[in-house]
Amino acid sequence: MSTASKTLDANDARLSPFEGGGKMIAVGFGLGAVGLGGAAALGAGAGDHFEGFLHSYLVAFAYFLAIALGGLFFVTLQHLTRAGWSVAVRRLAEVVAGTLPVLALLSLPIVIPTFLGNHALYHWADPAARQEDHLLHHKEAYLNNTFFLIRMVVFFGFWSLLARYFLKNSTKQDETGDPEITTKQQKLSAPAMILFALTLTYGAVDLLMSLVPHWFSTIIGVYYFAGAMMSAMATLIVLAKYLQGKGKLGDIVTVDHYHDLGKLMFAFTFFWAYIAFSQFMLIWYGNIPEDTIWYAPRQVGQWIPFSIALILVHFAIPFVGVMSRHAKRKTGILLFWAIWLLFAHWMDMFYVVKPTMIIEHGGEAGMLHLSLMDPLCWVGVLGFFIAAIGMGLKKHRLVPVKDPRLTESLAFENY
Amino acid sequence: MSSAVASHEIDNTRDDPTRRAQLILGGQDFHTVTEMVAGIPEQERINRNWWFAFTLAVSLAGMFGLNIAYLFWEGTGIWGNNNPVGWGWPIVNFVFWVGIGHAGTLISAILFLLRQQWRTSINRFAEAMTIFAVVCALVFPGIHIGRPWLPYWMFPLPNQMSMWPNFRSPLLWDVFAVGTYGTVSALFWYYGLIPDLATIRDRAKTKIRKFAYGVFSLGWTGSARHWHRYERTYLILAALCTPLVLSVHSVVSFDFATAQLPGWHTTIFPPYFVAGAIFSGFAMVVTLAVPARAFFGLQNLITLRHLENMNKIILATGMMVGYAYSMEFFIAWYGANEYEGFTFFNRAFGPYAWAYWIMVSCNVISPQLFWFKKIRTTPWMMVIVCIFVNIGMWFERFVITVTSLHRDFLPSSWGYFSPTIFDIMLFVGSFGLFFTLFLLFLRWLPVVAIAEVKAGMPAAHGHHEEHGHEAEGAATHG
Repeated sequence: MSTASKTLDANDARLSPFEGGGKMIAVGFGLGAVGLGGAAALGAGAGDHFEGFLHSYLVAFAYFLAIALGGLFFVTLQHLTRAGWSVAVRRLAEVVAGTLPVLALLSLPIVIPTFLGNHALYHWADPAARQEDHLLHHKEAYLNNTFFLIRMVVFFGFWSLLARYFLKNSTKQDETGDPEITTKQQKLSAPAMILFALTLTYGAVDLLMSLVPHWFSTIIGVYYFAGAMMSAMATLIVLAKYLQGKGKLGDIVTVDHYHDLGKLMFAFTFFWAYIAFSQFMLIWYGNIPEDTIWYAPRQVGQWIPFSIALILVHFAIPFVGVMSRHAKRKTGILLFWAIWLLFAHWMDMFYVVKPTMIIEHGGEAGMLHLSLMDPLCWVGVLGFFIAAIGMGLKKHRLVPVKDPRLTESLAFENY
Repeated sequence: MSSAVASHEIDNTRDDPTRRAQLILGGQDFHTVTEMVAGIPEQERINRNWWFAFTLAVSLAGMFGLNIAYLFWEGTGIWGNNNPVGWGWPIVNFVFWVGIGHAGTLISAILFLLRQQWRTSINRFAEAMTIFAVVCALVFPGIHIGRPWLPYWMFPLPNQMSMWPNFRSPLLWDVFAVGTYGTVSALFWYYGLIPDLATIRDRAKTKIRKFAYGVFSLGWTGSARHWHRYERTYLILAALCTPLVLSVHSVVSFDFATAQLPGWHTTIFPPYFVAGAIFSGFAMVVTLAVPARAFFGLQNLITLRHLENMNKIILATGMMVGYAYSMEFFIAWYGANEYEGFTFFNRAFGPYAWAYWIMVSCNVISPQLFWFKKIRTTPWMMVIVCIFVNIGMWFERFVITVTSLHRDFLPSSWGYFSPTIFDIMLFVGSFGLFFTLFLLFLRWLPVVAIAEVKAGMPAAHGHHEEHGHEAEGAATHG
């Protein structure tokens, strides 16, 4: 495109690394320590072999993992499609994906105990249960402690390496401006996408579906992916607004970028509903006990209003709210909906994880089992997530200043 | 057919991050684009090859009609459908044709929302194909209802007996889903045609022609007010069409997945069917676009880059289909349900293993050839791959339908389905109907969206600094 009206100075202070990153790190570590420390203390005091704590922790962990994976998908997709519009916000997505190594560390409270045979979270992690239960015995080739550990190492290793690779090359281009780097990233993006799809799917199978090891659903990977993309788009909107509020980015990220991010956020809100409906409707219609074990406890007691609220908060209300052009172009309104949907994503993860305590661990039916550990764990993981983002923002320019398609990204308009 | 690829094919498939490739080649301006496209329906003498193809298509369509007449006379017993396979080729053909019809709306609606300018050269073509495919699809359930003189019973019409269709049946949802889809696709297609029909009207040399194109261009004058309303409506129609791309084949998948039958009852069916539909739809677009562009000399409008982009979509959706196959297999094992496990084992190694492996080789393996740029950008090679994809997608529906049915839960109800000659003639005949409509479209309507292509050319944006080179004369945005 040749209509670039703005030219960029690579040393523009608005695009330089974020000075507030240090503060983000400090605050993040503070929140992380308080949140996770408090939750762990409560968990230890509960005397349930950390069962309550681990479930709360998994809700929070799956929540932020989804955002980071959504960011990684976004970056990969932009390279795969040779996108131009998104260059101005791509660095932010690269930084969000760059939290994956930190999330790999944060997976340890789940992975290590499970590997060592603690079955407070995953019933199948108990070797004795695998002997007694015919179905678990059948699945032992897949659901066993060692293979679980191996898979987690492979998945988090792949995600971390891929995220680092994209970020490293992109920031290298900030210095050299070499268009060959873009070509290289694009070449990698196609095979990376395949591995991403497989790792995300089996990650969702392992971390979420195997919570109820008798239950199965072929769509589970797509379900987790839909929520991941929606919440990643919301996160990018929040992050861009935050940085602009701090005097960064300036007019480089325009209302048209917000508009497009808003469209994608809207699209994936809708897509999530489509996938969630497909899964639910087919299981409801078939009405086979081996399928319905997952939904049945979610339709009892306190879970009834929660399930209905999930439909409203995650789909019906934002569907109407974000639909109009106005809502996506008034960035204040868009920010409101982004935060709203980030809350909806938490409800979704809570809905997916928590009833396990009833199905698998003898928790009282019909109860939400909401505890203080839920907000504490969320704040704790949020803290480390913010710190990881702060590290990225502090170190790198906020926009790929020498990306060959940046001018296109600065010039495009939604009409 | 594609040996006719012109020697003046210009390669615009190189990916250069610093600039967007040209989409309209050969130094075209607004006038030459109009000439190239509007010139086709304005030909005074109809090309002999067209007549040949048309005669063949009409003959096949006639065979289709005769078969249907015989079917109505004799009943569905003329088909291979029998216990335990009560759903045979008719449903397979229905799903196959509905799937073919998915590329059109994806290109016109979703790619429009994603600002993919390259879609303008192929959208008219693909939308037309969509409508004709939906027509072919609707024939099959229409003739399969047992009492073909009562098709209106499928609709919830108030009647003196207060009899209503079963709203819980996904087959009824199909009536609504496919009906809506056909209506909105036709509307969208016709709506896009209006400015181009007006162009042909304005160029018409005979009274009849002026009248005919005049009636259908609805008094279009091309005033700023017309354009303004046109573009607003186009955007809204695109947004309305987008969920339809997902909904139609999702509902078709519900026909199977709501059942409790192993091999049918699985939650990934809706998105998996949608991906497969787009996959087969694009394969059909490429299969037809390559000979059509050579035949009418449209290589500068439907360039190698357009074809390559479509092939990339075929590769991507083919991977999604492969993903769904593998998920189904994994869960068939992981779910530890012996009936589910048997069904999948039986698919791959039972009496229909030949069909299963045709499906896998055509749908999963053959699109992998599109990793090679050479194959992605050589017209005759891509047509071969795309024909394989279409064969594979037909077999996919065959495998899903027949393998899950032919071995019922009791071995006493096991059987082997074979089609009759009437099954085969109906399927072949449906291609006759499709090609009859398609050839009429090629002959009488603008096959490329003239106005939309022009809107993407640099001349439309008031800056001309790029002209000069032969290969770089026009539109950007790749």
